[in-house]
Amino acid sequence: MMIKEIITVILLIVGCFFFLAGTLGVLRFPDLFSRLHALTKADNLGLGFIAAGMALHIASPWAVLKILSIWFFTLLASSTSCYLIARFQKEKEQPTDRKEGE
Amino acid sequence: MSVLIDSLLAILAIYLALQCLLAQRLIQTVFIFFAFGLALALTWVRLGAIDVAITEAAIAAGFMGVLFLDALRDFSPAVSKKQQNLEAVRNPLPGNDTKRPILPRLALGLGLVLFLLISLEAVWNTPEGKGLTVVTGVMLPDSGVEHPVTAVLLNFRAYDTWLEIGVILMGLLAIFAAGGKEVYRKSGMTAEDPVLRQVILFFTPILFLFGAFLLYFGKSGPGGAFPAGVLWGAIGILLHLGGRPVLTVIPRWLLYLILTIGPGFFILLGFLLMTTGSTLFEYPPAYAGILILIVETMAAISIAAALTAIFTNLNQMSEEPDKIESNN
Amino acid sequence: MDGVFIFVIVFLLLNIVLGLFRVWRGPTVADRLLTTQLFGTTGMAVLLVLAGYLQELTLLNVAITFNVLAILLVISLFKVWKKKKGETP
Repeated sequence: MMIKEIITVILLIVGCFFFLAGTLGVLRFPDLFSRLHALTKADNLGLGFIAAGMALHIASPWAVLKILSIWFFTLLASSTSCYLIARFQKEKEQPTDRKEGE
Repeated sequence: MSVLIDSLLAILAIYLALQCLLAQRLIQTVFIFFAFGLALALTWVRLGAIDVAITEAAIAAGFMGVLFLDALRDFSPAVSKKQQNLEAVRNPLPGNDTKRPILPRLALGLGLVLFLLISLEAVWNTPEGKGLTVVTGVMLPDSGVEHPVTAVLLNFRAYDTWLEIGVILMGLLAIFAAGGKEVYRKSGMTAEDPVLRQVILFFTPILFLFGAFLLYFGKSGPGGAFPAGVLWGAIGILLHLGGRPVLTVIPRWLLYLILTIGPGFFILLGFLLMTTGSTLFEYPPAYAGILILIVETMAAISIAAALTAIFTNLNQMSEEPDKIESNN
Repeated sequence: MDGVFIFVIVFLLLNIVLGLFRVWRGPTVADRLLTTQLFGTTGMAVLLVLAGYLQELTLLNVAITFNVLAILLVISLFKVWKKKKGETP
């Protein structure tokens, strides 16, 4: 019983850490693409940890299924929106502006 | 300790509301509005009104957000085209502003103060007792459902719910009147983006399934016809945005049938029940559960069709401004 | 246990408040949409933790509703953008 609670707390704290990392990235990174990268990766990982923690805490099969589907849908939604934002930002800027080269 | 959460939510909601009004650019307003919807839904959850939170999530944040975004597209090209006219209109405005009489402002200020006083009074003097909760609890076994909110909405106060569905249809009627009821099939509107196409194909069945789940779950918990209708309507909007305009596929008479079947069935059932000697919308307790489920399903289908039609018509209204202008 | 939940909720809400700064400042439209994504993900996390804290599993339905409609908003924004790009020479 105790072990389960400890694992839940650890998962939640780790999730919080990733959320903080994502927010700091959004606030501090210099251009849109790095901000996108920080936000989409870190926040979804954080949500994954929090979802895992809450699934462990609630521990009813139906709820666990729902929590997992919430995480899955958020992953899909945010990766799609990340892709769309990045693509259109890139199309808006001239390709020669980017330093990586094609 | 949870006071901390409450105060943070309150600050967030009020701050976002203010930002929404004060933001300088419209697109900023739309995004802040979405965030405001989220904050409001969280607040409703904290207040224990999960039914309201779910409707807020579905209608205010989801559907209204999409409509606002569409409105943004609607006006921005027009603004850029008529930039000179706009400048001409904008310049005399400050002159008018100084000449505006003081009376309307005074009335507005007075009204605001009165409103604040009334809301303070309402918050301060919360009525004693449980209100109608006890009565609803007593009547619940006869209503055919287990969730008190659904019992009130679909059984005890069914007339109000019927009118609410009517309000959505009235809105659609106004849009028909303003923008024509023809839905055009446009070429070159298919989703050429592979990711977009896959996402739309993936989410369509999920929206349908989850809407059906919410509809059925309304019997025993927060859910019901309105969120389900929005989710089903979202299918139509998604398909329209993805280049598969559903409303051009179904014939006009079928669309009208779908639009009216919800409120029509609802009111017909009410009158039918009147012929058996009871009052309007008084379901016999033995069949109440199944009757409510049928009514809710029909209503959800109608709401979904109405929302899809509202979005589609508004959407194409902005795409063919020349056509509309030449008609006038 | 409840204390941990409250801490996590307050922490996540503070994250949202911090993210508001980017909405206010964001130089391009893309930055503002990005922050909406931040709100969405963080809001989901808050709803999940609230579901555990209040012992109210129906909150998960609210979360799923938000989730599936967020994608609609994203796609609709994509279309707005496309249209604007097409209009401007």
